[in-house]
Amino acid sequence: MSINPMNSTPIRSETSGLKTDTLFLNMGPQHPSTHGVLRLGLTISGEVIVEAMPDIGYLHRGVEKLLETRTYAQGVVLADRLDYCSAMSNDLAFCLSVEKLLGAQVPKRAQVLRVIMAELNRIASHLIFFGTYGIDIGAFTPFLYAFREREMVLDLFEMCCGARLTYNYIRPGGVASDINADWIARCREFLDFFKPRLDEYDTLLSFNPIFLVRTQTVGIITPKTAVAWGLSGPNLRASGVNYDVRQAEPYCGYEQYDFTVALGKTGSCWDRYFCRVVEMRQSVRIVEQALSRLASGEIMAKLPKVLRLPAGEAYSHIEASRGDLGVYIVSDGGLAPYRLHFRAPCFINLAILQEILVGKKVADVIAVLGSLDIVLGEVDR
Amino acid sequence: MIAYFKEVFSGAWAFLQGLAITLRYLFKPSITVPYPTEKLTPYAAFRGILLVDPAKCIACGLCAKACPSTCISLESQVHPETKKRIPKPEWYALDLGRCNFCGLCEAACPTKPKSVWHSLDYEAVFSNRDEMVRCWKPGFPLAGRVWDPRKKDFKDPKGQISVKEMRTRP
Repeated sequence: MSINPMNSTPIRSETSGLKTDTLFLNMGPQHPSTHGVLRLGLTISGEVIVEAMPDIGYLHRGVEKLLETRTYAQGVVLADRLDYCSAMSNDLAFCLSVEKLLGAQVPKRAQVLRVIMAELNRIASHLIFFGTYGIDIGAFTPFLYAFREREMVLDLFEMCCGARLTYNYIRPGGVASDINADWIARCREFLDFFKPRLDEYDTLLSFNPIFLVRTQTVGIITPKTAVAWGLSGPNLRASGVNYDVRQAEPYCGYEQYDFTVALGKTGSCWDRYFCRVVEMRQSVRIVEQALSRLASGEIMAKLPKVLRLPAGEAYSHIEASRGDLGVYIVSDGGLAPYRLHFRAPCFINLAILQEILVGKKVADVIAVLGSLDIVLGEVDR
Repeated sequence: MIAYFKEVFSGAWAFLQGLAITLRYLFKPSITVPYPTEKLTPYAAFRGILLVDPAKCIACGLCAKACPSTCISLESQVHPETKKRIPKPEWYALDLGRCNFCGLCEAACPTKPKSVWHSLDYEAVFSNRDEMVRCWKPGFPLAGRVWDPRKKDFKDPKGQISVKEMRTRP
């Protein structure tokens, strides 16, 4: 098992004496392991990739353009549908940006609720990654376990927000509905159930020698490359770069929470995977702290019913499940944004594929792609 | 050679450890629900298929305005002589093919109790696009009749649940 894919080079006809030719291989857009509709144009020489071009746009819905014709309250609904695996983060980024331009103060209780929901959604989102990455590598069992736990988080969301995937819960000025004692009890019950499960995950997948061999030497991203390509989120931190928006530029009172940022060492697929597993643990810690911090009070700031933002521009970014999600709003004083842009982490994380896939084996493409944890809804917008 | 067997052993051992975890769950009750025979009831806050109560509706049009995807359309009744608007809907149509299930219409509705609301019903099956449009008109049962463009008339959809079978408002 000492084959280092980093050392593999394309077979050249001059040196081998054989007449070889490169082959163009389409991976996707209907490939089950591309996590949606991503097409990878691979030029391969034998089994080694010479060139990789991610081709996106199959899920383009023009959300940014649509938002120009929607009011800010309606905008949350569309923002939900970007990264549908962690819709709360999208809502949060959008609302923070609106509130920044509006100069609105969000009540304390609403801020804590936002933190709880965002972190629970991070757990749910990372659980999808954990499950599907196992499938990508060839381990089916973890998927079933991950989705069992995810279902519990979704139940919590359903109790509170009324939806399971696109919540429309975080609204400009606060949150849509309050939680009750029953919800808090259910949430604590889930956290107590979930913590020991993480150890099971480690046995099932994280430290499985077969999984380690398959991922530990694959898709290595050096800190320099990671920063150069603008990676963010667990993908960046797996390379050892300590940048987490929650700590670098705290929002929603994240500076009051005690948590550590998971850092990887080598930036391999396994590091990216394990960063997320550790992040789930940290999210559990944050939710526990937030639940004990929950004080009674308002959940919605007093805002006019019809939101009309002052002319100007605002940018705010948060640490979403997949990285640094930013929302840039330009307003001309009307009911809808004049222009709105999402800095989608998945879109930027995906671009690095063209560099790190070169020289890898075809079999490693899925391992690398899966470890970047992209959601095509956010890539194409 | 020794390293090779060590690797085989560690792989097999990890496999057994994984099996030990799955074996524990084998003897526990199943967590899944066999769907068509057993059904889960959603929580009270669940946003299911939209329902409208035309008797309560005052035809203010706030729901249609709040909707981000223009799923709701309605027209208020007009007094035949004075030509003034009566706060009653002449017709009220919900296009479930467009519905986002966001709950903004319900939040915008000024009547008490809400005249448009998300029911707990989550089983929406349509065989064509027209069936997704549920139009209410006086004399028609609500969640039933669908517009048939060929016959230019409303018809009873097949296998669709009637209003009476739907769960009540939470």
